[in-house]
Amino acid sequence: MQYKDYYKIMGLSRNATQDEVKRAYRKLARKYHPDVSKEKGAEAKFKELGEAYEVLKDPEKRAAYDKLGSNWKAGEDFKPPPNWDEGFEFKGGGFPGGGAGVFSDFFEQLFGRAGFHTAGREQHGFHMRGQDSHAKIYINLEDSIRGATRNISLSSPEMDAQGYVQVKQRSLNIKIPKGIKPGQHIRLSGQGDPGSGGGKPGDLLLEIAFNPHPLYRISDTDIYLDVPVTPWEAALGSKIKVPTPEGNVDLKIPPNSRQGSKLRLKGRGLPAKIPGDFLVVLQIALPPANTDRAKAAYQKMQQELDFNPRLSLGV
Amino acid sequence: MNSHDLLPVHTGTVIEDDSLTLEQLCHACDVQTDWVISLVEESIIEPQGNEIHVWRFSGASLVRVRSALRLQRDLGLNLAGIALALDLMEELEKLRAQLKIVRHD
Repeated sequence: MQYKDYYKIMGLSRNATQDEVKRAYRKLARKYHPDVSKEKGAEAKFKELGEAYEVLKDPEKRAAYDKLGSNWKAGEDFKPPPNWDEGFEFKGGGFPGGGAGVFSDFFEQLFGRAGFHTAGREQHGFHMRGQDSHAKIYINLEDSIRGATRNISLSSPEMDAQGYVQVKQRSLNIKIPKGIKPGQHIRLSGQGDPGSGGGKPGDLLLEIAFNPHPLYRISDTDIYLDVPVTPWEAALGSKIKVPTPEGNVDLKIPPNSRQGSKLRLKGRGLPAKIPGDFLVVLQIALPPANTDRAKAAYQKMQQELDFNPRLSLGV
Repeated sequence: MNSHDLLPVHTGTVIEDDSLTLEQLCHACDVQTDWVISLVEESIIEPQGNEIHVWRFSGASLVRVRSALRLQRDLGLNLAGIALALDLMEELEKLRAQLKIVRHD
């Protein structure tokens, strides 16, 4: 078991006042809240912060923690000294800071798991439908275009008969319906929390997100692709091949197309009642002037074309 | 053949836009009806339909209600603060998505 330096986690010195503890928590909670932060590892940091705050905001727990001494280093292998908690009384209380997360072994060793001994839902009635549970799953664009079957693994905290929380792993094969969009939900009936007293189990609600695609970008039901073209293809017009998730298509580029022009292939986006479009964004690629012939071609353009791209800048 | 092939394949139903009732939304998010009504009053979520018994919510409301719950619990925000935070974060998401589309890298 590793020692956790709750002061370090909260960026506080050991003699911080209770007000400073609260202010530090508020500030860091805003920074690392999983709904707010896009930083990597924000969720883990937020949990750690919740645990640190749970201890430091409570004068009893803080005093007990301080009694362990300040010579421990974060991550160091830790065993609580015998009778370390003699004379301290911990009042159960809720665990608001870290949400429903499970605290570290270090925390549980010191303060027990009393907080998880919740009354249970049996109190509410004899036939209680189980809760719906939620998960987010990442699929590939192609799964939505063609429909697919995906195996997902879910871990969920479940309460055992003694009222302890255990993290359970399970694996499900699910059908990804054709045309599903990012942000939509799939409901799997009866795959949520078990009911109590013979009540029906809850449902599992899966929120769909897409993995980033190496080629395509998705916006609602539209698919975007950057396509490099030569200056003459853009200037003179041409027919080029463009890869779409459903295979290559021939695309006509109109003459005098410009950098960044968007060409729309109607209905070739994500399938839906009103299917999305496929948008080709032209990227003009310049051939390198690395041979005498290439240089001569550029010089010819220089002589023949009266072109000032900086006209709008007034120079 | 791997072990996944032995498991049954579950087929779910897609939650279409504006198909969730108030009761379904509350059950799905494990929250009280009154609290969801106050979210509607604050315009944090916007159902279709004029009266409570015909209200229908979108799948996106599931995400907003659960975010709202966490923001209230973890950061102590009030409803006006939650509304502002969620709107700003949605705006940020949109801008990030647009940035991805225009950025040529």
